[in-house]
Amino acid sequence: MSGQRAFNLLKTHQQSSDRLIDNFNAEDLRAVIEEIKVAFSENHQDALKFQETRDKSLFPMIGYRHALLQRNLRCTLAYLYSRLMKLKDIRWKLGPVINADIKESLTEAEIQWFNNYSRLLTNYMMSFPNGFNIMTDMKPPKSLFIEVKCLCDYGKFELENGESVALQKNSIHFLPRTECEHLIRQGILEHITN
Amino acid sequence: MFVSDLRNEFFNFLSGKRVIIISNIDIDSIAASKILQTLFRNENVIFSITPVIGLKALKRTFDDNKSDCNIFVLINCGGCIDLLDFLAPEEDTIFFLVDSHRPLDLCNIYSDSQVRILGDHRNEEDIPAFDQIFRDSDDSEASGDEQEENVEEDGGLGEDDDDNPDRDSSSIRRSETHLEKFERRLRRNREKRDWEKTRERVLFDYSQYSYYARSSALVLYELAWQMSKDTLDLLWWSIVGITEQLLLGKIESSTYTLETQKIQSHVSRLSNKINGKSSTAVRVTFENDLYLALYRHWSVKESLNNSIYSACRLKLWTLNGKKKLNELLVEMGLPLAQASQQFTSMDLLMKKDFYQMIERTAEKYNMPGIIYGSFTLQYGYRHRFAAADYVYSMIAMIEQIENERTAEYCFIEALESLSRVNKDLIESGIDKAKVLLDAIFKQVKTSLESNQIYSAGPFLYFIMQDENILFSSPYGLTLLAKFMLNAYVAVSKSRRARESPLIACIPIDITREICLLIGIPPIGDETKNFFGKAFEQAAVKSNAAIAQDFFDTNIIQIKQSDCAKFIDALTVLLSR
Repeated sequence: MSGQRAFNLLKTHQQSSDRLIDNFNAEDLRAVIEEIKVAFSENHQDALKFQETRDKSLFPMIGYRHALLQRNLRCTLAYLYSRLMKLKDIRWKLGPVINADIKESLTEAEIQWFNNYSRLLTNYMMSFPNGFNIMTDMKPPKSLFIEVKCLCDYGKFELENGESVALQKNSIHFLPRTECEHLIRQGILEHITN
Repeated sequence: MFVSDLRNEFFNFLSGKRVIIISNIDIDSIAASKILQTLFRNENVIFSITPVIGLKALKRTFDDNKSDCNIFVLINCGGCIDLLDFLAPEEDTIFFLVDSHRPLDLCNIYSDSQVRILGDHRNEEDIPAFDQIFRDSDDSEASGDEQEENVEEDGGLGEDDDDNPDRDSSSIRRSETHLEKFERRLRRNREKRDWEKTRERVLFDYSQYSYYARSSALVLYELAWQMSKDTLDLLWWSIVGITEQLLLGKIESSTYTLETQKIQSHVSRLSNKINGKSSTAVRVTFENDLYLALYRHWSVKESLNNSIYSACRLKLWTLNGKKKLNELLVEMGLPLAQASQQFTSMDLLMKKDFYQMIERTAEKYNMPGIIYGSFTLQYGYRHRFAAADYVYSMIAMIEQIENERTAEYCFIEALESLSRVNKDLIESGIDKAKVLLDAIFKQVKTSLESNQIYSAGPFLYFIMQDENILFSSPYGLTLLAKFMLNAYVAVSKSRRARESPLIACIPIDITREICLLIGIPPIGDETKNFFGKAFEQAAVKSNAAIAQDFFDTNIIQIKQSDCAKFIDALTVLLSR
């Protein structure tokens, strides 16, 4: 019992930054909580003993256990908070629906938190007249239209105003930014910068 | 119809609409598309650009896009064919044509409003008058006469019951009018035949020679100038367009000089705005330059070897020629070691004096025309390109058609290389151009040494046996043919060679046995090319299977087996 488990918790959490979010490390957390409980109960006993014996030599242990307790608390809170922030990122990147393999690395409470956050975000977006979607354009766009180069034969693509564009391989088009965004993300179009 | 007020009738007409740009794959049209792209981007006109290499591709692209949009801009393609007939568009489709190929098809010129040609009709030469080509059909007149006849007859019969003498006189009148009608019909037929004969002759004269007019990039640059949206970049692109026309012999040098004077005024106007504040700003300068290909990016020796003008004047593929080259270098005062190095790593003093050195020794070595006026682009500390460098680099880029790189891909790459941020594209293009020019020189050397150029009477011809990827596209073959002709004339003793055109043929697809054939006019400032029509007629006469798919009619694809009889038919045709 020396705060090692808490350190472990955070270390594994940080090392898994290649995946979106890693499995909830339940055993480490439980171990840490055990440590906190044990430390607290021992401290409690020592405090009662001190009241009887007034033995000052108990102080260092009590101080140590208290520090340990606080450290463990801090680590667990950091761990839980960091997971929630990652979930928030997931909401912004992937949208309001999480797929099954991410869901299995989350706890019930986290899923609930995710849904609540999602609802909050949608309510906020709806509160604007016309439902303003703040999820597009992470960076402020410089112009309404962008030039794109078509990388593969996609066929016909419908624009919002009804006109359709024939996306042939190696053709250049000048289209409204909003319509091309998701095709650029899919890799069918490529933005040309001049 | 012609549209001379480009700003109102073309550009303002297009704002707010969707446009499809279809462009030929050649350097002039690449420069023109780039200029048009910039103008449209500034006005937020939605457009799409698709490159096409020939007539079939044009039809395919048109069919793909015709349901989406009804305004098309065609750059350097489709001017010489009857567009409405070939593409069969809807009534409301409008074509804007900016094409430097001539002669323009008469149906395009006289179209009412569907085909609009950007340009001034006063600049065009020898367009036959409308009445000489088109005429309402005579059939309605003939049937009207017959109706008149019937009416008269009825009228005559109607008076039957009345006086006999009246009837007699009316019948006499009838026979007179019969005779007159007969004469009139004879006269009309004769007139019609005469008219048709003149029409044939006029059409033949008009379409006999194919040549090039003003560069499309320049036309579009002037549009930008009228809208006050011109910049040095746009001007540079139009300079590249017109330099390409000069280097490939599409226009005469006098025309080039006239145009450069106009361009110079633009250059001085635009450069004054910058006022030389910083030495790294973009600058375009007009100066006397040398006809040495890529000399700033190569070594002096290589450049002298591989440029048509110097190689042919000094006959550098012969042993004597090499000695002469060394003599020239000695007289210029340039050590051999320096001459074989890259130009940029030569001694500073030698670099600065290089131009004067050549100027002094040019007369003595029979190279007076090695100096011509040209534009140079300079930006940053390291980048200095002559317009010809850009042209060669882009030719090499378009040329390099391999498995993944289709012609359309090369078009897009060349388009991107024009913007200054992509300078590494131009530099890689220059490297490819060096390979190309080297290969051309070697090919010319081997062919002349093994006497592979034959004379077929009215023209020279040269047939290559092996496939060579570098010469399998129109541009590569054109450069090779030009070099070959110049070199042959330089060594040949017959005077006839000076006036003979050349036909070059190279297989491009061994499996399908297809060859590429090109005909170029004789050397000199000759730009009119009669091979387009000649190929058509020879193919008909010899039943050869040819595909005149390219927009330059002097380049065709032909089956290898038909090559020999095609050339025979051509010989017969041209000997008359």
